[in-house]
Amino acid sequence: MITTTRRTALSMFAATALGLVAGAALTPAAQAADAIKIGILSLTSHSPSIIAEGKGYFDEQDLDVEFVSFQAAQPMAVAIASGDIDFGMTAISGGLISLAEKGAVRIIGGALQETPEIEGQKILVSKAAHDAGVTSPDKLAGRSFGVTTQGSSFHYMAHKIADKAGFDRSELKITPMQKVPAVIAALKSGQIDAWSIVPNIAGALTKGPEVVEIGKISDYIDNYQVTTVFTSTRNVTDNRELVTRFLAGLSKGIDDYNAAFVDKTMGADDVAAITGMVHQYVYADQPIDKAGPRIAAGAMRINSGARLNVASVEDQLKWFQSEKLAPEGVTMEDLVDTSFVEAY
Amino acid sequence: MSLDAADLEQPRRATADLQQNRHVAAVKPVPFRGGGFVHTRHRFVALFLFVVLVILWEIGSQTGFISNIALPAPSEAAGAMADLFETGMIWKHLSASLYRLVIGWSVGSLIGVTVGLAVALFSIVRAGVSPFVSALFPIPKIALLPLFIIWFGIGEGSKVATILFGVFFPTVIATYGGVDNVDRNLIRMGQSFGLSWLSIVRKIIIPGALPAILSGFRISASIAIILLVAAEMIGAEFGIGAYILMAGALFATDQLIAGVAMLSVLGLTVGWLISRAERWLLRWRA
Amino acid sequence: MELILDRVSHSYGNVEVLNDISLSVGSGEIVCIVGPSGCGKSTLLRILGGLEKPDSGAALIAGDPPADSLNPLTYVFQDFALLPWRTVEGNVSLVLEDHAIPKDRARAIIADVLARTKLSEFAGAWPRQLSGGMKQRVAIARALSVNPAVMLMDEPLSALDSQTRDLLMDDLVDLWGQVGFSACYITHNLAEAVRLGHRIVMLSRRPGRIREIVDIDIPLNERINHPAETTAIQRRLWEAMRDEARAADRELSDVA
Repeated sequence: MITTTRRTALSMFAATALGLVAGAALTPAAQAADAIKIGILSLTSHSPSIIAEGKGYFDEQDLDVEFVSFQAAQPMAVAIASGDIDFGMTAISGGLISLAEKGAVRIIGGALQETPEIEGQKILVSKAAHDAGVTSPDKLAGRSFGVTTQGSSFHYMAHKIADKAGFDRSELKITPMQKVPAVIAALKSGQIDAWSIVPNIAGALTKGPEVVEIGKISDYIDNYQVTTVFTSTRNVTDNRELVTRFLAGLSKGIDDYNAAFVDKTMGADDVAAITGMVHQYVYADQPIDKAGPRIAAGAMRINSGARLNVASVEDQLKWFQSEKLAPEGVTMEDLVDTSFVEAY
Repeated sequence: MSLDAADLEQPRRATADLQQNRHVAAVKPVPFRGGGFVHTRHRFVALFLFVVLVILWEIGSQTGFISNIALPAPSEAAGAMADLFETGMIWKHLSASLYRLVIGWSVGSLIGVTVGLAVALFSIVRAGVSPFVSALFPIPKIALLPLFIIWFGIGEGSKVATILFGVFFPTVIATYGGVDNVDRNLIRMGQSFGLSWLSIVRKIIIPGALPAILSGFRISASIAIILLVAAEMIGAEFGIGAYILMAGALFATDQLIAGVAMLSVLGLTVGWLISRAERWLLRWRA
Repeated sequence: MELILDRVSHSYGNVEVLNDISLSVGSGEIVCIVGPSGCGKSTLLRILGGLEKPDSGAALIAGDPPADSLNPLTYVFQDFALLPWRTVEGNVSLVLEDHAIPKDRARAIIADVLARTKLSEFAGAWPRQLSGGMKQRVAIARALSVNPAVMLMDEPLSALDSQTRDLLMDDLVDLWGQVGFSACYITHNLAEAVRLGHRIVMLSRRPGRIREIVDIDIPLNERINHPAETTAIQRRLWEAMRDEARAADRELSDVA
């Protein structure tokens, strides 16, 4: 008798505990109307929102901004889904699409964009591979290609190179290394043959003898929309006005970023001021005179007004689905809300 | 004679007195206080609880009480598992992981037992090696992964090495702890019968340490499975750990749960195998 | 063969446990050593069997052990010291395995000693299945299998209850009747000594010295029929030992 009740109590307890865990994840994060949290990575490409905050563009929109730093793009998407942050800016990844399918996040604008006139992402090979004859991306068949994780933008780029170069995607040995530093180490030591990366990192690598540049991503992917701006579906449906204000503030930050680092049409003093703002979050562990050139080096264009290249996003979605890295049922409508910015 | 008869009467009269006393003070049984604190086997309770939890979970997911971001429905996870079987990928993942586990665990255990015996039997080795074991054991082997990659490459080498190192240290400690606890009297007995050193080690010390070594195996096998995910972080195309990491990166939580379930099943299987080995090797125990 | 202890003294650190002990165990003779607890009986036995070196004096062997003796000085321990992972048969076999005995010869020896100790039907049993008395029989069978010149028995019956002890004493007397083994038998139980000893050596309390040596010439198998004589000897020994035992009981022990 006693044991039976005890057993039922135990299972009830377990069920309650499970409910609590699930419930906790469901509870929306409490937020005041105008306080927003923006997820950033310590990369130059994330400076527009830093500049917008520094120059008071968000204040103009009556937004109280808090930055939350992340080590990788993937957790940022998850943090949006969990309600820990409101806005983020990263490459389209399998995780982002999966969360969109679950109705948690939505792409609302475009950011980093490959354009022919600006230096873009580079295709690199190790010295050993180069010596073995891999002197152009067409010769990558049968070689290993470093990625952070399966379904990352690196994975997409690798397959797009294969498609354009005319060999089978399976002939590239995709090698997950989890983190960018690990990919760099593996490339330098010749444990992987190839990789693709933004110009400032590529530039630093090719200065050394271990890594050789063999091509540009823009030759293989047309108008590649590298990163996008995204927020939670809840914001898109219930808080449209907040999203609009955020994008307005961000757009002014983007304009300053392009003027300072990409088009270089800004005065030196203004550039220095902006570099100072960015330095608080990017290369913060180095002194400003060292960090400054690094921040400016190889900055890629960010679409003004957060314009979004829908064609590129659609191509990426199709690729994810063809590789079974995203659920088949996801549509562009699930993934993107094109009503906030200019889409083309 | 009459005296004997009177003696026999004595107890009978005593009970009769008791019967009579009943009217004065009620007779009741001594209260039983010895119950509880005994393990009785309930074979199907765990299974039943598991099924109930899964059903509750499914209901919670279906009704939307548990959001599918927080946790996928069990049926979705089962679907992901079914996909694995349908595409045959499960065998690719399993064989890749089993290869790493089997090689890493057996080589790690073999070296671990050998070093453990050496530490236990030779005081010079103990003095030299045991501080290193104590110092290196608590280091998370994951922290050494970058070094393993430089030393052993991103191929199978670093993966096997991660598991091997994780298994090695607890095995050393279990082995020499086991040897230390072998009944000294048995060793003295062996010496008193003039048994050779090797015979004493083979026939007295190793079997005596075997229970401790086997419980060490139980722990080291779990550690090996835990380290599998870490080992497959780097450069693994296939493997249960790689599958779980990919599912995490894609936020494919159904696949994540399916992968974790595979690890659980692997753990249960290994535990069951070790229990069988224990039952056979230690059949001399009660 | 005769086993001799020649003027042996031994100390552990500052504590002297044995002082100038000389005695001998002759062929076919059971010498019982009695004394209060802590008088160094076990140390004496360890020295006799070569498990410990005395500070001074020596343990000596006079004459050669029988040619077929595999382990001339063989112990029987109080705690039996059976390997729990070997069967009864396996435990006996253990001490033969190092001696390059042909398999069927070894099997014959095992069958013989198990028969002598009335264990034949338990050959395949695990030690955990046996009672204390049976375990000690296995230990004795194991000792007999190596055909010892002298058995060194360290309180072999002390871990057993008194009924089992009586049974086993009878068995030992029978066994001696068959095999005529020699033994140095350590005990604190005077009844055992009087029942099994051809000679009884009584040690004083620490440091152990020989206090008295009593020869009993009643044949072992007839002692049960002479209760008066044996009881008298036992009583006399107890009188001599009582005060020592009492004093020993009150001593603090820090000796292994």
